[in-house]
Amino acid sequence: MKNETVERKFLPEMPRKEIDELKNTVKTASQKIMADNIERMKKADPHRPEAMKYFDEMADLFGKRPKEIAAEKEKGKKVIGYFCLFAPTELILAADAIPVRVNSGWYDTSKLGDRVVPVEVCPVIRSTIGAKMIELSPFLEQSDALISVLTCDGMTKLSEILSDVKTIWGMNVPRIKDSTQSLRFWSDEVRHMKTQIEQFTGNKITRKKLKEAVEATHRATKAFRRLQDLRKGNPVIMGRDAMLVNQTFLWDDKQRWTEKTEALCDELDKRVQRKDWVCPPETPRVMVTGTPMFWPDNWKLPTLVEEGNPQGVIVADEQCSGERVLNDPVGVDEWSMDDMLNAISERYLMASTCPCFTSKDGNEDRINWLLNKVKEWKIQGVIYYVVRGCMLYAMEYTRVKKTLDKINVPVYYLDTEYTREDVGQMKTRVEAFLEMLNARIDM
Amino acid sequence: MDLGTQRVQVVVLKDGAVVARAFAYSGFDPTKAAEQAVDEALRNGHLKLSDVNHFAATGSAMDMAPYANSKVSMMGADAKAGVFLVPKARTIIDVGAEEARAVKCDEKGIMVDFVVNERCAAGAGAFIEAMARALEVKLEEMGPLALKAERASPINASCVIFGESDVVSLIHRQESKPEIARAVFDAMADRVSAMVHRLGINPEVVLAGGVAKDPGFVASLNRKLGLNVIIPDNPEYIGALGAALIAATRVKGGA
Repeated sequence: MKNETVERKFLPEMPRKEIDELKNTVKTASQKIMADNIERMKKADPHRPEAMKYFDEMADLFGKRPKEIAAEKEKGKKVIGYFCLFAPTELILAADAIPVRVNSGWYDTSKLGDRVVPVEVCPVIRSTIGAKMIELSPFLEQSDALISVLTCDGMTKLSEILSDVKTIWGMNVPRIKDSTQSLRFWSDEVRHMKTQIEQFTGNKITRKKLKEAVEATHRATKAFRRLQDLRKGNPVIMGRDAMLVNQTFLWDDKQRWTEKTEALCDELDKRVQRKDWVCPPETPRVMVTGTPMFWPDNWKLPTLVEEGNPQGVIVADEQCSGERVLNDPVGVDEWSMDDMLNAISERYLMASTCPCFTSKDGNEDRINWLLNKVKEWKIQGVIYYVVRGCMLYAMEYTRVKKTLDKINVPVYYLDTEYTREDVGQMKTRVEAFLEMLNARIDM
Repeated sequence: MDLGTQRVQVVVLKDGAVVARAFAYSGFDPTKAAEQAVDEALRNGHLKLSDVNHFAATGSAMDMAPYANSKVSMMGADAKAGVFLVPKARTIIDVGAEEARAVKCDEKGIMVDFVVNERCAAGAGAFIEAMARALEVKLEEMGPLALKAERASPINASCVIFGESDVVSLIHRQESKPEIARAVFDAMADRVSAMVHRLGINPEVVLAGGVAKDPGFVASLNRKLGLNVIIPDNPEYIGALGAALIAATRVKGGA
């Protein structure tokens, strides 16, 4: 953390008493919301897998995991936070540091962010600013440095604002990825990040250490893909449960997460054999795409879909808070340092379907991902989820809609905010969409 | 029963035909308002509560409906009733007090796509009401007034509040009331037509909901869309009718 006397350019100075009071209020409310979300998830599946207990525990943002991280920090480990998935976490792991994603899913703190930036700004950004103002997020507070990849405008300016109080390392991501010069540029950024992490942590990233980190992430990817593949058939896990598992990876210990996810998949395999479906197989199969949805508050859409009347089940998503997290492995040919760094650069740039990209064919990789998901996961309807102020996702909707229209898959554009007040209105729309999907299935 | 934000509409359907209808103002207790409207509709049709086989509810307050055996989405109801009233209809625009929506449907009245106005009432009836207040005219005078306008003065209605301040600046510029009234309807029609364009216009286009009764809005919307929308009789009852029609299939289907 920077010296307190450094002049703050963005964040207001708040009295300690106000910070503590607000933090307490929001934290208490958040604990209730987390408990309520998990209670609802338990109710949704009477035969909920045993392994979910672990992920429920990991989901407590004020619980076991921040305590573990605090203990590691005591022993001298550094924590490196990040916002966008482009941050090469293998490098962090190889330097014996702990990577944690720190985007905020708290609705209440977005109102605090309004004191710093106008309400037109994306609520994920406003909420993250607000969380910092009242020191709410244990992971953000524990971060010794933050990697900020300059993807959308919000992320770009967020890093500037947080630099008032945190060490920030920007990574400049090229917007056109299908060119050799973009990849060259990005792999320079990745190599520079390696040096920065090494200097900051005082730990050299050796070939052996990096290989271990890449291999550990491979194992996690394998478990991750196994879970998503299990969602291709008749549903054996509620979408919300799978989404929570996917998201806990962002802050959990990687090895333990992998073991627990494999254990969950073993249970689900048995469920497939028993034909023990979580909901009737004819339940409309929904995919969600768009703005990331962060635990714990921003759980309203999956809850509405899966508790709707009629009910739907989320079997896939295309979001950086969900299936984009680990979908693609780092492809290494030879385990030389250079080859590994090239492979890491390629994986983070080329595999991403973030709407910050464009090319002569538009963001073709995202379109192909969506088409592939629709086909393989037998998607019957897509909800295109956008929060106000999320320009890139909003603008890419037209293209996605046209693509899905062509293959006759309905898509509904749902815009919302970081608020609980519009749940009633959202419910009406989501249920109308599900009713429409049912009518199509019946025909 | 269509429990809307401003009014509750009730339609009684017997052997596929409407035998009675009634409405009540939603007020603070939509459940009570619905009970009153049901009461009145049954009285109009010389029927008793026990004569009713099935109650279906729609509208934003459908969860508060009394007697309800089932619920129907507002968009599903629009599609069903739109095609029932105008068999050739494939796009139904429904503009109510607080919400505007457009529904695309097939020949059986099953919706295939829909859009709803973004979280803002500037494209819905409440906007006309607020602007009528600013102009100190009665709500029902707004339409006829707008039709007298000789030219259009644009306002940028991105929301009711900003719309009102735009209207105030027109007043300060000493624009005539008819021109300001037309500006209000044009601004609303802009928003609604943009929404319909996002859905794609499939003729025939039906306009329903309470605002369909306003000649000022209808004229503006026709100009913006470049076509003549069809307005069914009793357009404000489309939601209730759609719910009743879908309820009828549910009863027949043994639901």
